[in-house]
Amino acid sequence: MGDEGENVPANESNDSVVNQDELILAQQRQIEKEISESIPLVGELDSVTSLCKEYSTDDVYLEKIKDLASKYSHVRRTRPDGNCFFRAFSYAILEKLLCDKDSFNTFYKLAENSKNILVELGFQQFTVEDFYETYMEVLKRLSDIDNLDDAKKELHIIFNEQGYSDYMVVYLRLLTSAQLQKEKDFYSCFIEGHRTVVDFCHQEVEPMYKESDHIHIMAACSALNTGVRVLYMDRGVGSSVTQHDLPEGCSPSVHLLYRPGHYDILYP
Amino acid sequence: MSLETKYNLRSPAVKRLMREASELRNPTEEYYACPVEDNLFEWHFTIRGPPDTEFQGGFYHGRILLPPQYPMQPPNIILLTPNGRFQVNKKICLSISGYHPESWQPSWSIRTALLALIAFMPTEGGSTVGSLDYTKEERHTMARASKKWECSTCGKVADILLNADKGFLPALTEEESSLLQNINLKAEDDPNQKQEVTAVDHDPENTFSEKLPKTTPIVPRARAAVFRKPTYNESVPRTAANCSNADTMMESETNEDTYQVQSQRSTDSSNRCPIEIYAILFVIALILIRRLFFLE
Repeated sequence: MGDEGENVPANESNDSVVNQDELILAQQRQIEKEISESIPLVGELDSVTSLCKEYSTDDVYLEKIKDLASKYSHVRRTRPDGNCFFRAFSYAILEKLLCDKDSFNTFYKLAENSKNILVELGFQQFTVEDFYETYMEVLKRLSDIDNLDDAKKELHIIFNEQGYSDYMVVYLRLLTSAQLQKEKDFYSCFIEGHRTVVDFCHQEVEPMYKESDHIHIMAACSALNTGVRVLYMDRGVGSSVTQHDLPEGCSPSVHLLYRPGHYDILYP
Repeated sequence: MSLETKYNLRSPAVKRLMREASELRNPTEEYYACPVEDNLFEWHFTIRGPPDTEFQGGFYHGRILLPPQYPMQPPNIILLTPNGRFQVNKKICLSISGYHPESWQPSWSIRTALLALIAFMPTEGGSTVGSLDYTKEERHTMARASKKWECSTCGKVADILLNADKGFLPALTEEESSLLQNINLKAEDDPNQKQEVTAVDHDPENTFSEKLPKTTPIVPRARAAVFRKPTYNESVPRTAANCSNADTMMESETNEDTYQVQSQRSTDSSNRCPIEIYAILFVIALILIRRLFFLE
């Protein structure tokens, strides 16, 4: 990454009319490429204390990791590409559902009915069908495997195959968008600026690589009829991590670790 | 179909493009697109110029290049028919105006991109890279000429839309129509593309030569003028002789140097001038004195 910093001014002196925005985009693409080459979409299980390596000189974080380690044993990292919440959430919920056939079947039915809701909201039918079919294909493939360990392995493989993994992300983004639009009176209070819920969905929810906020998480949980606990770890005051359940008062089925700008999966 | 054996049908991008190809297989009166024979990731398209605009009656042909990450990343559109609105042989990116310029959505499709392109043609080009600001008349002339335009792969493209089933035009979805109101197109500023553009001028396939991109040549000329003016003001004395030559001097800096030398010489001689006159007067005076005193 250090090299890019030097390349940029060099180009600039060659041609003073060069477009700054293009340079920024080029650098961004380069960083994205490096991330995608070095970090898997969804990683293997790691112990929570492995996080210490990232903060060896930061006492605030080290203190908080100690606190986190008292509540959780393992962490599964995801690629920081702006889709991390959607990818982590999808993976974690399916992994959890694999352990419970009944819940899995209920979820399967919910997913089966979701396409019509999207089409009714005005999404282009044949592209929605494209994502829906792939989503259902993945659910089908997983439900056909009887052995739990094999099913988990298959899930891991699917989520690390770029094409399938991204399709899972897109479909959850669409479901989240649909949920926001269905309950737009409620969600409009949480949107900053003068954007409508529909604008917000087009700009912040449906495009890939757009990072998620509280509002995305609330809508995604509500769309999949589940709850999530988010553990916030930052350099803020105190020696313990803050936790939030979304929606409030739920019994969470998914646990996520939030560090500024990024979500990973946590295991109790 | 040969495509089915060539590509991995398990790949979502391949499945998606096959689906789009079948969705778009029948030409409509307004647009048509299909993959080039053996490459699912490169398409050719034809659109009809939007009615009640200077593009009415025009048929515009181009290429669509699909990134391997499609539909996660947007298709690239390249126009081939001279049109007066977009430079030909230059990538145009689809994006939504507003907060984030690069917000392509995977739920859009090639059809969405074509509809957006048609909707965007009559909008103001401004100074956006890849845009051309031709007059209505010029664009109208190009629209008329475009009927005869031929693609080396697809032949006479106007015929494809003219032969389409009358009235066959799938309705816009709610999402599409709201999207078309705030869609934006911008060219990608790719240095490699610039060379392609100049290469087009020598392309015999183009029935009339596209004017050179207006932005590129103007910039160096403007910069040069700014550079030269101050040099001229500072170093050259403003005498009547070289003021009249000011324009010629702007042309090149070597000329300027010669003028400087000449003007310096002329100033020197004008300083020397009175002494010589005195000398001549002195000599004349001497002659007169000699005549007066010695000849008598």
